[in-house]
Amino acid sequence: MARRTEPPDGGWGWVVVLSAFFQSALVFGVLRSFGVFFVEFVAAFGEQAARVSWIASIGIAVQQFGSPVGSALSTKFGPRPVVMTGGILAALGMLLASFATSLTHLYLSIGLLSGSGWALTFAPTLACLSCYFSRRRSLATGLALTGVGLSSFAFAPFFQWLLSHYAWRGSLLLVSALSLHLVACGALLRPPSLAEDPAVGGPRAQLTSLLHHGPFLRYTVALTLINTGYFIPYLHLVAHLQDLDWDPLPAAFLLSVAAISDLVGRVVSGWLGDAVPGPVTRLLMLWTTLTGVSLALFPVARVPTALVALAVAYGFTSGALAPLAFSVLPELVGTKRIYCGLGLLQMIESIGGLLGPPLSGYLRDVTGNYTASFVVAGAFLLSGSGILLTLPDFFSCFSTTTSRPQDLVTEAPDIKVSLPKEGLEED
Amino acid sequence: MRASPGLLAAGAPTPQCSLLLQCLLATARRSSADGSAPDLPFTSLPLGEEMMANNFSWESHNISLTEHSSMPVEKNITLERPSNVNLTCQFTTSGDLNAVNVTWKKDSEQLEDNYLVSATGSTLYTQYRFTIINSKQMGSYSCFFREEKEQRGTFNFKVPELHGKNKPLISYVGDSTVLTCKCQNCFPLNWTWYSTNGSIKVPVGVQMNKYVINGTYANETKLKITQLLEEDGGSYWCHALFQVGESEEHIELVVLSYLVPLKPFLAIVAEVVLLVAAILLCEKYTQKKKKHSDEGKEFEQTEQLKSDDSNGIENNVPRHRKNESLDQ
Repeated sequence: MARRTEPPDGGWGWVVVLSAFFQSALVFGVLRSFGVFFVEFVAAFGEQAARVSWIASIGIAVQQFGSPVGSALSTKFGPRPVVMTGGILAALGMLLASFATSLTHLYLSIGLLSGSGWALTFAPTLACLSCYFSRRRSLATGLALTGVGLSSFAFAPFFQWLLSHYAWRGSLLLVSALSLHLVACGALLRPPSLAEDPAVGGPRAQLTSLLHHGPFLRYTVALTLINTGYFIPYLHLVAHLQDLDWDPLPAAFLLSVAAISDLVGRVVSGWLGDAVPGPVTRLLMLWTTLTGVSLALFPVARVPTALVALAVAYGFTSGALAPLAFSVLPELVGTKRIYCGLGLLQMIESIGGLLGPPLSGYLRDVTGNYTASFVVAGAFLLSGSGILLTLPDFFSCFSTTTSRPQDLVTEAPDIKVSLPKEGLEED
Repeated sequence: MRASPGLLAAGAPTPQCSLLLQCLLATARRSSADGSAPDLPFTSLPLGEEMMANNFSWESHNISLTEHSSMPVEKNITLERPSNVNLTCQFTTSGDLNAVNVTWKKDSEQLEDNYLVSATGSTLYTQYRFTIINSKQMGSYSCFFREEKEQRGTFNFKVPELHGKNKPLISYVGDSTVLTCKCQNCFPLNWTWYSTNGSIKVPVGVQMNKYVINGTYANETKLKITQLLEEDGGSYWCHALFQVGESEEHIELVVLSYLVPLKPFLAIVAEVVLLVAAILLCEKYTQKKKKHSDEGKEFEQTEQLKSDDSNGIENNVPRHRKNESLDQ
């Protein structure tokens, strides 16, 4: 059978996009709508906000930390078995969680088990997507990631409805059944008939070179700080609104509003990142600063209109910074070290995702409301954006990619979501 | 009773000597004393004996009416402990004040004693004082001004309301749940919980570690029920007892068994299994078809190559150039 050296850029690839769409919906949509469950857990276990926040933060951290493992396994076994296993693990975690009698059970079942399930689904899918697309890779990835926004919008009120009919145990059981669809999505990931990509320069050599790369390390620190504050509203907004005497259903709807503006922000930012000349770092700093400011303003807003406006602003700016966060990386480390760099970045920034929500919960327990939590989250984002100032080429007039013409053709449209396999194909 | 400016018009049932005392006091004193609203033109204070002896707090409330008031004016007052109450109604009219008939009623009973009437300019004032000791004195007190039309002002005295949850509380067999009742700014003497058996209210006893009643603050109560069974579901009532009355709130508890969410769960799992099977089978089928057509294609390709080779060297040259540019 003849083997292609180029991705088909279509055909079955669009089915893979569909599968990736549903997967990102089921992984990140569920994770983001967990703020709705948060209130129930606090009431059911009588525990403090800090301890309950660990559930989601462990899940987020394991998902990010385990992504390199997912990519590595899928290189060895192909994406299909890995994603299907991940789906089963994620659903199993939720199933076990519905029988939980203490918070520790939830840490282990949702945090560890479901988190590792999610780690095994998302990274291999994005890698598979890159096998099917090269010219239209960013479009395909962008379309796939819209699943996140749409599901956060739909899931928050849906979970609230489930909770009002089945309480948290029954709702977790049904979310587990929902997560089982990840297995079906995994079944769609037909391995493409491509020639194997040879690895470049050995992973260990890349790793050591990255660890000595000053700008990369500073960027990692910046993203870790940003990651610390980033997830806090998704977890604590519903609880904060209930503290302000909002009913549960309108509070869940506010989360959906933030999710929609997140979606719009991603698309606009992706387009803007292409259209505006100069380093992408500046745009990233702009969005990060705005996100930090809107977070810090949350405690000040009491009137519903102000809260809705802030939710829209937060959603838009945080969605806008997400695609750019991946785009800056190839400008810093070059496409050859992208695979290693991305894996390392995700592992280190997961620390921020792990510690952020419990810190916010702890501040809430100590002060009695979420004012300090949101202000501190905003502060983390602002300090992260401050560090971005120290990156090279921040103040230059043109981006580094223009200085390497041979990279320009294949690299420019792909910058938005740089994926592990990209650097390998160049050689 | 007809109003006469400057004089008090008091009702009957106080003992003779205290009536005499009041008459003397009325003519003697000019300024109003402690507790009453200082801006009202009542010259003296006919305190009943109970009011002089007790040290309850004073509650003063005022309603203004005019001859043109179309709707009855109501004021809702929340009371949780015994108090001395001072109610005042003022009525402004352009007509003759003497022609106005002033009465007070509690609920629908006419009150005969302890109210004063006085007039200043074109406004008629009436004041009623009494003490609320227990629930018998709570209710609606109304002042009536009768000209051609009757104008009415009502003071509604109620015990504080309790807040429970409007939606039912859902829990599962074997779990434990906490029912909460709270009161905004009040401090009841006692809290009691009742569960309903059919239509009978049965007090919840603290039995065998199943029910635990406690509350962290005085204005709330929590009923914790452990080891729930399906029979534990139903309506629960929390009762707050005050010196001046009782207040209650209803909470609904629903206890589900695991079978309830299990059915949709199994349905969705079955659907996923079918979906996966369908996808994999579909792929196997299309692969089989592709294999057959590929075998046909390979045969054609080998034929093509055989004929290419025999054409000579020219076909190879462009291929080399292409490889060189790729190696950069």
